[in-house]
Amino acid sequence: MAFIELRDLRKSFGKTEVVKDLSLEVRKGEFLSFLGGSGCGKTTTLRMIAGFETPSSGSIFIDGEDMENVSPRKRRLGMVFQNYALFPNLDVAGNIAFGLHVAGAKGKSAKKRVAEMLELIGMEGYAQRYPRELSGGQQQRVALARAIAVEPEALLLDEPLSALDAKIRQRLRDDIRSIQKKLGMTMIYVTHDQEEALSISDRVAVMRDGRIEQLGSPSEIYDNPATAFVATFIGSLSSLCCEVADAAAGLLLVDGRILRAVAPLAASSGETLSLSLRPESITLSPSSADDNVLPGEVEAVKFLGSIVRLVVHSCGQAVFVDSFNDPRRALPEPGEEVKLCFPPEACHLRPSHPAVRVPAEEISTSVEA
Amino acid sequence: MRRSESARKALSWFWLALGMLYFFLPLVATFLFSLKGRKGVLSFAAYANVLADPQFLKTFLFSLEMAVFTILASLVLIVPTAIWIHLKLPKAKGLMEALSLMPFVIPPIVLAFGLIKTYSKPPLVLVSSPVLLVAGYVIISFPYMYRTIDAGLRAIDLPLLTEAAQILGARWTTVLFRVALPGLRASILSAVFLCFATVIGELTLAVILAWPAFGPYMALVGRDLAYEPAALSIMSFALTWGSIGLMQFISSRGVARRGRGHRP
Repeated sequence: MAFIELRDLRKSFGKTEVVKDLSLEVRKGEFLSFLGGSGCGKTTTLRMIAGFETPSSGSIFIDGEDMENVSPRKRRLGMVFQNYALFPNLDVAGNIAFGLHVAGAKGKSAKKRVAEMLELIGMEGYAQRYPRELSGGQQQRVALARAIAVEPEALLLDEPLSALDAKIRQRLRDDIRSIQKKLGMTMIYVTHDQEEALSISDRVAVMRDGRIEQLGSPSEIYDNPATAFVATFIGSLSSLCCEVADAAAGLLLVDGRILRAVAPLAASSGETLSLSLRPESITLSPSSADDNVLPGEVEAVKFLGSIVRLVVHSCGQAVFVDSFNDPRRALPEPGEEVKLCFPPEACHLRPSHPAVRVPAEEISTSVEA
Repeated sequence: MRRSESARKALSWFWLALGMLYFFLPLVATFLFSLKGRKGVLSFAAYANVLADPQFLKTFLFSLEMAVFTILASLVLIVPTAIWIHLKLPKAKGLMEALSLMPFVIPPIVLAFGLIKTYSKPPLVLVSSPVLLVAGYVIISFPYMYRTIDAGLRAIDLPLLTEAAQILGARWTTVLFRVALPGLRASILSAVFLCFATVIGELTLAVILAWPAFGPYMALVGRDLAYEPAALSIMSFALTWGSIGLMQFISSRGVARRGRGHRP
């Protein structure tokens, strides 16, 4: 049975409909992420669950109880905000104890709980520091402890890591997940960072224009994107235009070459489709006899840390090829002829659409080798 | 790079020193002039004369009393209004800002006659009551009070803190007394200082409404005597800053006590 249920939820601000007919069930103890770009309605949905926004229509149920006209303070939820929202006039212990004092806990019990929370977030020596004396990561840890201290039924996290730098973000992300597993707490997490969502969630709801495009486990979302949007939003994809040569045998025609996809194809022979390939599923040498092979010319070599990305011009399109950064292996030079090899299982087929946009930040943050 | 940084620092100190000179030079000159009450020697004779005048203490205490009532009335009226506007009516911020400029636009003399005309006939006859003077002072100090509180509210992001408190189970009263007001302590204190300084030296309203306030007393002394007004200026300056210091001391002690109370 669903612990949190959103039923036909809609929200409009003036004439703009931000959330459209959204239905979702969150199981008890589950870590679910809303993933999407700016303005897709993910934060508004979270704020409706918290009770800070009133739905234009639809219902929210928490543990079977309709939340209509239930104020945020009575929803038994915790929330972690993007900008920490720590009370500046209270020290760390005061912040963590705030909810406990409001709930009537006093003296030793509150003190004990605060100590437990400080231990949980690994900040035992910081009880008497004020928020202004803490780094962003420490402030967010305190905000997390403050939210958990009152033992909420579920925790809502609104882009809690987006104001932090990459290293701290990664550590805190792992900490949040381990705390969630340790306490078995239901968490709903809002993020625009696909890596964040995929790495910590039990399920991910990819949102676009106020609707859920796809709901599934991280691997389902990544390996079997349900729509072109999900396919392009999650990870990187290279798309090639192809024609179905033999649907029953799974044969495709790309730039005059026959390629093999998983048979049978859900398309009719002669139909034009879009063939999408993940950069990590392509290699430069065949790993089995079944591998498809396409010729190409290296346009650029981009160094992304642990990964090296080749941009290969093949069949009139730019195709990305990712491989681990192995210093012992020589990388091809720009202008070099290479072979793109990929198994039939790597071929994702969708109705034909314009060439897939490459997320700009992937290129701009990389360093040309 | 280091040189440019030290040059920038030196320039900052230069401007600060210039500002301090601009502020303190007239004060020092006034102080030196106030010591020349006796021919040929520097003495505190002018100060003794002022202190010997019973009107001095009477008018100062009257203005002090009016200042306290003005501050209380302003706080009760303006702080909850400003908080409410930030939380529930953000669209009204522009209107309130425009309204808060009105006391600068309308001269106090017009305000005084407007108050007399409105409150000299039933249903509310207040011309002979100090309530009308306090009401006038509340209007005059409104821009200082509102704008300072408004700046404080913008600095602490009250809507966000309110949501954080509410999701932790806090009622509106808890939000007000444990989140909003402590967060606004510094700006409330500044607003109180400004309000206090405005009321202590105010002249027009007190003269037209005929109350024996400190402002009219200073004007009277300045008209009739030479060295005593300078002594009075220095004394009123010291008294105002002394009172402000006392308020800050009392308030910071209160906050420190409350702060300790939160530590489990």
